[in-house]
Amino acid sequence: MDILFLLIPFSVVLALVILGGLWWAVERGQFEDVDREGERILQND
Amino acid sequence: MQGLLTRPPLELPVPDARGHGEAASDASVLDDPAEWPAFGRPLGDADGADRRWESGVVVEGMHCVACASTVEAVLSQVPGVLEARVNAATGRAQVVWSADRVSPSRWFAAARAAGYPLLPAGDLAARGRRAKTNRQALWRWLVAGFCMMQVMMYAYPAYIAAPGEMTADAVQLMRWASWVLSLPVLLFSCQPFFANAWRDLKLRSIGMDLPVALGMLITFVVSSAATFDPTGLLGGEVYFDSFTMFVFFLLTGRWLEARLRDRTAGALEALMNRMPDSVERRGADGTFVRVAVRRLAVGDVVRVLPGEAFPGDGTLVDGQTSADEALLSGESRPVPKAAGAAVLAGSYNLAAAVQVRIDALGSATRFAQIVALMESASLGKPRLALLADRIARPFLVAVLLAAVGALVFWWPVDHGKALMAAVAVLIVTCPCALSLATPAAMLASAGALARRGVLTGRLQALEALAAIDTVVFDKTGTLTDDTPRIERAYCRQGTKPGDALELAAALGAGSLHPAARALVAAWQAQSRVPPGWDVLQLTEHGGQGVEGRVRRAGCAQVRTRTVQFGSAAFCRVEPLSVDSAQVHLADEAGWIASFVLVEQLRADAASAITALRASGIAVQLLSGDRERAARSLADRACIAVAQGDCQPEDKLRVLRALQAQGHRVAMVGDGLNDGPVLASADASFAFGSAVPLSRARADFIVPGGALSAIPQAIVQARRTLAVVRQNLWWAAGYNALCVPLALAGLLPAWLAGIGMALSSLVVVGNAARLARAPSGQA
Repeated sequence: MDILFLLIPFSVVLALVILGGLWWAVERGQFEDVDREGERILQND
Repeated sequence: MQGLLTRPPLELPVPDARGHGEAASDASVLDDPAEWPAFGRPLGDADGADRRWESGVVVEGMHCVACASTVEAVLSQVPGVLEARVNAATGRAQVVWSADRVSPSRWFAAARAAGYPLLPAGDLAARGRRAKTNRQALWRWLVAGFCMMQVMMYAYPAYIAAPGEMTADAVQLMRWASWVLSLPVLLFSCQPFFANAWRDLKLRSIGMDLPVALGMLITFVVSSAATFDPTGLLGGEVYFDSFTMFVFFLLTGRWLEARLRDRTAGALEALMNRMPDSVERRGADGTFVRVAVRRLAVGDVVRVLPGEAFPGDGTLVDGQTSADEALLSGESRPVPKAAGAAVLAGSYNLAAAVQVRIDALGSATRFAQIVALMESASLGKPRLALLADRIARPFLVAVLLAAVGALVFWWPVDHGKALMAAVAVLIVTCPCALSLATPAAMLASAGALARRGVLTGRLQALEALAAIDTVVFDKTGTLTDDTPRIERAYCRQGTKPGDALELAAALGAGSLHPAARALVAAWQAQSRVPPGWDVLQLTEHGGQGVEGRVRRAGCAQVRTRTVQFGSAAFCRVEPLSVDSAQVHLADEAGWIASFVLVEQLRADAASAITALRASGIAVQLLSGDRERAARSLADRACIAVAQGDCQPEDKLRVLRALQAQGHRVAMVGDGLNDGPVLASADASFAFGSAVPLSRARADFIVPGGALSAIPQAIVQARRTLAVVRQNLWWAAGYNALCVPLALAGLLPAWLAGIGMALSSLVVVGNAARLARAPSGQA
């Protein structure tokens, strides 16, 4: 069960990284206009 | 809420060089730095070397997502524009530009050249703030939810493991992991609770969030102590799972509650927030250019497309359409409008593009008056809400004392358990349900009534209205159409009735007296041209009649005649022996004509009075008209008790007498001349389209004059009070049940969190039912 001592701290770090990533995405306005980004690929400009 | 109902006043100067170069004059105004804050905000240091501004604009002519990227590309190519973000869904764009390198008119012109005219959007700051608060609330909720799931996973092994199955090290590791992931919840997600509690403490008052914040803090401290010192004073149990869970549930409750409340208040707000941003104005060369509504001046001609709201009160000059004036006049059906008809700001053009000459703008419009009325109403606090607020404080003190009691009682058994019992007490009690119960319900009702053509002047009046058992109409005018009809006409030998009517209409055109209006209306119904008389020296003798010197139009040489139009005494003729109103016409040679007028009962009068009777309300009529006229009208409207010849003092005396007998009386009047009578009634309605809203002193105003609105309003008020009572009982019952459970230590903190969140939601959700029409009514 020693692997727990690696995996649990690892899961904590992972959780914090995910939170940080989400925060970054929200702050940068990634979710402001969701449709637009998806349709951008259909435009030839 | 009040901030959302009105747009911030924007004092952009109206360009005075209108007519030559519309676009140029419009955009160059924007180059004045004084105008920039009206539609944007400075980024960073406004006085520094690089002055950057973020401006909000409305983009016209966008149809699709492709347009949005075209506009972005066009704007970004202008040197000095640093960033342009266009949102296709809202039709708005945000432009970041450097004030040193470009002037706004440059990029306005660039977008216009590309076929997408821009308009400054004044409410950027307000919208931005709102979006930011919403986004942050959602984000706090997400963090709490995410951390809750993780912490549950770390807590789970401890729940299922048999004693001795997990090594002490592993248990300790799980606790540390839980502690780390509870930190973001404590520091970020709980922050609004702590901020509110701290603000209240600084003001030396006890707020709703204080018990909750205390509960959060205690749970975290107890669990942290157990994590780092399991043998310590506060016991060896951790409650990180409970902690993250109840924070998550509380935030969920708040989030849903805020949305529900926004929707309820939003129903009211949506009615108010319907003024268009921009409109097409006719320039000197006859072409139409889209300009911001605040650039309009009285006298401008604008083209209003179907589906748009009229930007100001005005007169239709070209075209034919129908308008939706439901909010403004209470008329729920589309109102047909032909050239020459008056249109109201804020009503919707339904059928076709029309041209309108603007007669009044901004605060001068009826729409603005309605907004102001509703705003002041929504700011007032109903009596029940004040009562709840007064109760809330001792209630909170009691909660804190109860929590201390639980702590003291359980302390000898187990320190940690004692603290958690106290936490459950702090969290489960819900004074917010108590204080939300009344205002939520009353606001929802005010919104629902407004949609049916009844404007609520005071929220408090809803409570009084629910208890009404007698409705007194204090004018015949409230039961009859605004304009009487001519029943019969008698004329002097040799005078044709049409000629007499024409002369009377010419004299009466300037008067607001119902009799004069009746004759003018009758003339208009008969002939499309104005009366062919020139009227000189017209004088109106209030309440008696008008006198003027007249001569045939276009015959300047002919000698003028002096003509009187009014009561029998005023015209010095014998009155006719009829019950109804009469009006006479006479000149130097004596009597010319007499008109017998009959007041028409409003189409919905009988059904409205039947509806009032059906809900157990007595109906009376007090009238200033002659006794016989009042009684005959009452008979036609099925009103049993009627009294004529009433002076205002008489009406007041009757009203006092009724109240002395224990009746609760609602008075229906025109809101103008009967102010004192309306004011002493328990609830009052001002009626009729002639009411200037700013002067009407009544609890409820019915601009459209639909009598059926009165029984509907009473039904709605009764439902409102029923909901308020349900809410208060629910809040009281919930607290009475849950506080003892928490005191007994039977309620875990997470369950307390769910309980509190649900109890507020029940209250607000119950109130939201009022926004819908009751079943069986439109």
